[in-house]
Amino acid sequence: MILALETSCDDTCAGVVGTDGEVLSSRVASQGLLHARYGGVVPEVAARSHLEVVDAVVDDALELAGAALDDVRSVAVTHGPGLIGALLVGVSWAKALAAARGLPLTPVDHLHGHVVASTLRPEPIEAPYLCLVASGGHTFLARVDDPRSYTVLGQTLDDAAGEAFDKGGRLLGLGYPGGPEVDRLARDGDPEAFDFPRSAPGELDFSFSGLKTALLYKIRDLGDAEAELRKPDLAASYQSAITAALSARVARAVGRERLQRLAIGGGVAANSDLRARLTELCGALGVQLWAPPPSLCTDNAAMIGAAARFTEPIEYPHYLTLDAAARL
Amino acid sequence: MNILGIDTSTAVSAACVLRGDGQAFGVEPPPAALERGPAHSRELMPAVAHCLEEAGLDYRDLDVVAVGAGPGAFTGLRIGVATARALARAHDAELRAVSSLAALALYVEEPVVLPLIDARRGELFAALYEDGRRTMEPFAAAPEDVAARVAATARDPLAVGDGSVRFREVLERAGIRVAAPGSPTHVVRGLSVCRLGSTASPGHPDAALPDYLRLPDAKPLPR
Ligand SMILES: [Zn+2]
Repeated sequence: MILALETSCDDTCAGVVGTDGEVLSSRVASQGLLHARYGGVVPEVAARSHLEVVDAVVDDALELAGAALDDVRSVAVTHGPGLIGALLVGVSWAKALAAARGLPLTPVDHLHGHVVASTLRPEPIEAPYLCLVASGGHTFLARVDDPRSYTVLGQTLDDAAGEAFDKGGRLLGLGYPGGPEVDRLARDGDPEAFDFPRSAPGELDFSFSGLKTALLYKIRDLGDAEAELRKPDLAASYQSAITAALSARVARAVGRERLQRLAIGGGVAANSDLRARLTELCGALGVQLWAPPPSLCTDNAAMIGAAARFTEPIEYPHYLTLDAAARL
Repeated sequence: MNILGIDTSTAVSAACVLRGDGQAFGVEPPPAALERGPAHSRELMPAVAHCLEEAGLDYRDLDVVAVGAGPGAFTGLRIGVATARALARAHDAELRAVSSLAALALYVEEPVVLPLIDARRGELFAALYEDGRRTMEPFAAAPEDVAARVAATARDPLAVGDGSVRFREVLERAGIRVAAPGSPTHVVRGLSVCRLGSTASPGHPDAALPDYLRLPDAKPLPR
């Protein structure tokens, strides 16, 4: 079995994945509360917190998998992209453990993890497929012909979709992270109450930076009292602009690439409106949709184990010089 | 008892294996290495592997893993502590965190030693050792303030460490002696970490954390 670690942002994740893609455990120590106090992820706070809990999270993952260190055949770790100080905690820990146990180590591209999360059991997706990854840090569409790699078809030119949710949430006076809060509030609102821009740059790219400005102006136009009253409508309309842009790009990519399967990943893939839209879209297009449970969409170590299954491991001692990288 | 000692509080990655028979096998970088950018992630584990190989030991032969927990550069400290923790856990060795300032002061043959580690932002991490005993707890301050505090003790310390190299002029102007340029005393030695580790009390592995001495820069939002 593979012991996987993921510490690229603000969640400390460890998991155990079978070589057949079975998720034996996937544990996440979320730092959400910690960063909520700052209104966003503070890299130094994240890195400190990773180090504080990494051993406990690994213990937990092993215990839940009913495994001991002796059962671990290889170690996988996210080596980028992400916050460098945060990544280095996981990379240093994983390297040292693998070295001391004489195990191979697989450095994993965090985004590859999101792209192949749907290859995990019980219902593994098969290539070729289209994948939409939308999170606080990344938003892109990829084509997967072989799970060992992926081709980016289009991506955000500015803010990530999750970032747009967080910024919108902040403008609406909601807590951090804004995504789940906007989602909740939007359920009581009218998604067509306000018209927000749905920018569609290039053929398959995204742009979300204009959206938050539009929301800011809308709130100003309405005035504080009215904006407070219409908060659910604002949230629903704002959310709808993001999810509509995402699903329009998916529709175009499916048509262009002629793919029959779609997988989604990233924290925004847990958004209920996006899930509903894509379910409808896929139904209409006759495309099969893989929408993993939210725990496998947001950052987790099982997806790092999944990517490790499709990545060449490095034997001892060749990974001793492995470094983390903010960008890959 | 076989001890591994590592330190990453400064720009150099120090490692040493102190074998049960008292023989030491270390990777002790030259003082010039203090001037480079740190590369702990690329250098530390190869140094550890090298020491073990020289000593003819395997990772599982380690009884104690000692780590310099700082103070020092935050990212470097975390690489050292994370590495030490995982090495210790891999074969149930004892994990012992020691002071990087104490390690820096250990082999300086002077009655009063002022170990100084660069704390960035124009400050130093400092402590004071008189006749082998720590008489000033680790603190962070500007070089002038360090000099003023030390002057109050009315003894004549020798300053060592990358911080003393960096702020030599300011310190000397304030009447502090600084070890000669290029002196090996400026480098935290892995062997010193081993020696301190051999007598340190083992803590719970989860409790081994860097001695940051400073809070993160970010300010919480007003409530
Ligand atoms: Zn992610």
